[in-house]
Amino acid sequence: MSIGMIALLVLSLLILFGVLSRVLDRMALTDRQALIVVAAMFVGGWLPDIPLGLVRLNIGGALIPIIVCVYLLLHAGTAKERIRAIVASCLTAAAVFAVSLLVPADPAAMPWLDPMILYGLAGGAVAWLLGRSRRSAFIAGVLGVTIADVFTGVSLWTRGVRQTVYLGGAGALDAIVIAGVVGVLFCELTGEAMERVSRGRQKQKPVKGGQTA
Amino acid sequence: MKRLALFLFALLLLPCPALAEWTGEEVFTVSDSGGQPLFSLAGHVSVGDEYVSADNVLYRVTSVAGSQAAAERVGDEPMPDVSWLDLGEAQPVFSMAQSPSVPAASKGEGGKADDKKKLIAMYVTHSDESYVPSDGTQSIEGQGGIYDVARSFRDALQGLGVDVILDESTHLPHDSGAYRRSRRTAERLLQKRPDAIIDIHRDGIPDPEQYKAEIDGESASQVRLLVGRGNQNSAVNREFAKEIKAVADKKYPGLIKDIFIGKGNYNQDLSPNAILLEFGTHTLSKERVLNSTDVMAEVVSLALYGDATPSAKAEAGGAQAQTKPAGEKNKRSMSSMILLIVLVIVGVILFALLQTGGGKSAAHKIGRNLSEMTGGLIGRKRDKKE
Repeated sequence: MSIGMIALLVLSLLILFGVLSRVLDRMALTDRQALIVVAAMFVGGWLPDIPLGLVRLNIGGALIPIIVCVYLLLHAGTAKERIRAIVASCLTAAAVFAVSLLVPADPAAMPWLDPMILYGLAGGAVAWLLGRSRRSAFIAGVLGVTIADVFTGVSLWTRGVRQTVYLGGAGALDAIVIAGVVGVLFCELTGEAMERVSRGRQKQKPVKGGQTA
Repeated sequence: MKRLALFLFALLLLPCPALAEWTGEEVFTVSDSGGQPLFSLAGHVSVGDEYVSADNVLYRVTSVAGSQAAAERVGDEPMPDVSWLDLGEAQPVFSMAQSPSVPAASKGEGGKADDKKKLIAMYVTHSDESYVPSDGTQSIEGQGGIYDVARSFRDALQGLGVDVILDESTHLPHDSGAYRRSRRTAERLLQKRPDAIIDIHRDGIPDPEQYKAEIDGESASQVRLLVGRGNQNSAVNREFAKEIKAVADKKYPGLIKDIFIGKGNYNQDLSPNAILLEFGTHTLSKERVLNSTDVMAEVVSLALYGDATPSAKAEAGGAQAQTKPAGEKNKRSMSSMILLIVLVIVGVILFALLQTGGGKSAAHKIGRNLSEMTGGLIGRKRDKKE
């Protein structure tokens, strides 16, 4: 069983235990919807890729996460948040691309992480920094890694190398999904602390304020 | 925020020229405790990596400083018994019939897949790898000279009656994402249920002498076997590598340079019969390397299927008793995987118990969530108060 499948298993258990309820609530998803998404990713990872010219779209590893992103974009609170999520996605792509250059090609050169996971973590971290909300972080994480993969392909095509670009796949939980989940996780961990600080201030001096999405 | 955005955009533009040509990896030299060089490797060496030398001595890397590493002698590495090669008997050692992914119905008696087609899958992660004396450069953006080696290896295996799927997809550029891209190729290949999956590479050490060999009086190249130790299949993959080396040492001494057991994953978590072969180094002529593919094909075929002659096939049952039971190696892979899953589940349950504040509360939540997700068919229905 690959790391991706184990991560999906962990995610399913966390949803089942209700641990992620609050996170999912803020992403406008119910536990049931989240579990369906995880199951669809699991099954979709084994289905044949969808061919789109020189691009192959994996159903579990790319199509479903992208559909979730579109859903989240449509449910985003404001137009500003939508724009922020899209800009964050582009910048996450740049960061992921930079990581691919800075990290040595040999996977053994990484002190403690496989590059596949590092891509996801880097994407998730930048998505969290720039997305500033759980929804935006997920969108930026998923779309950021996707854009970076497409950019790699396009840069090869422009130099005459007709290499097929595979989006998603690799055990249904590629860097694409890892980036999305990590982005949300960082938001949850830091957002929780900041919200508590914020609530503490509000108790002392009540002010009108929006809740972090 | 704007400055950060500009900085990241600038980073995005940086890689364009860098993608054009791969300039090589760092070369590490590993020495024994007396300071005598043991081997060189283009890639990365970490503390804890292991190395089985040509004469089957196991070393473990104890320190790394820059591109120099020191290794301690652990002792003689026990190698598989390949005495069946002398007897000319069939000994299908590592067929996929031992893999847990193959349904029991497809297995022959004693776990042997006599009725199954012999099938090996191959792919090339570092598509640009080439041989300077023959290809003019060490890196070609597209299909490098390594594909000629892969095709020659495929043809040789096919000549021995083995079906081979060589996926000629490229996985450019030669960066840290190459294994992520080739992972998809490997997964596609594994859907065909091959007996083994081989990633074809060449080394990048500058000294060609370290890979030169004479096999059956012909100029050839040595082959290094590389096993990743960062996955649950590591122990079984290592056995597979040792089986190949033991057969080669018997049939073509000097063909296998050594076995390096490194920290990376190399997509070997996907199959218990996955191996990475380094056919020579970039400073060797490709023609010399191609001379090794025939003998290497014979070695891999023997290690996987034993002697394929009809007479030997008939004696396969007798030979089966000479080595470990077929399922034993698989059990090791399965037990590692089960242990990993159990640890993950236990960890998640403990975390969830802490989060929910105790056993009753956790059980209540699971019941309620199960009920919600199954539309009330399973689990505890939501309390009215909730």
